[in-house]
Amino acid sequence: MRKRHKKKESSEVNLGFQIAPMVDVVFVIMLFFMVMAGAVQVENTHNTKLPGTVASPTEVVMPDEIAIRIEDDGQVFLNDEPLDTPASKNLPELARNLSDLQKVSMAGQNEVMVTIYANELARYERVVDVLDALTRAQIKNVTFQAVAPE
Amino acid sequence: MASGGGSTESGEPEFQIAPMIDVLLVLLIFFMSITTAEILKMDASITLPVSPSAKKHDPKMTKMEVAINVRWDPKATKATFLVEEKEFKNPADMVPYLRGRIEAKPNLRALIRGDRMLPAAEIQRAMDLVGQAGYSDIAFSASNKDKEGTK
Repeated sequence: MRKRHKKKESSEVNLGFQIAPMVDVVFVIMLFFMVMAGAVQVENTHNTKLPGTVASPTEVVMPDEIAIRIEDDGQVFLNDEPLDTPASKNLPELARNLSDLQKVSMAGQNEVMVTIYANELARYERVVDVLDALTRAQIKNVTFQAVAPE
Repeated sequence: MASGGGSTESGEPEFQIAPMIDVLLVLLIFFMSITTAEILKMDASITLPVSPSAKKHDPKMTKMEVAINVRWDPKATKATFLVEEKEFKNPADMVPYLRGRIEAKPNLRALIRGDRMLPAAEIQRAMDLVGQAGYSDIAFSASNKDKEGTK
């Protein structure tokens, strides 16, 4: 008798569309996407040109050349002068020095050209740190040390 | 206010569920679109180096780029080169493939996506092969921030 009564109750349950739970679910999904929107990783790029073989019709003014060396441990040298520590990711000293050099060259109407000499075992991450510092110093002429083909 | 909806006969404003759902759905679609559009369509085994000052990658440029993914296996200390998900056991084999791509579409740019732990020699090798294939325009890929969210 008791069981029968229970069956009747369950059959009377309203299975119609409920707006309140739907709003709850939509709120939760929206909150998820709002939080995710702040943590989204965006791809950035450092654009550069490889040396071409096209002859220039005008005379080429040789820019002031600066060498940046990256050691295996991540130590960065600007014209043989060590700057920042290997643990320093932002390379503030390098960026400041490069910015000053850029200003001096601009005043003399010269262009700065930076050549990056990365040791074979230096991490690519460190090379990108140097590229980031060059971008902050607004230096556009960047070349890389060529590797000898195997 | 008789036919405006949202108010009672006495003039008191009334809460309307339908417009609220409309607004909620619009917001939901907005946040969904900005999160999914920005997610990097790239090799999941590559952790990009972080470079917040680099230029934001233009999604419109994707058609004018050929992506070169360089994975790094620290245990085997071995780099793996992939061009558009096609793996090259011998990196030198990439050259004819890349040359074919640039011959079909001149002004193509090579986008190098290297793992952050990759030795610089492997990136230099990738640049060398890209140069041999006849590309002059190259780009190095980086992320705007770490996965943890720290810049």
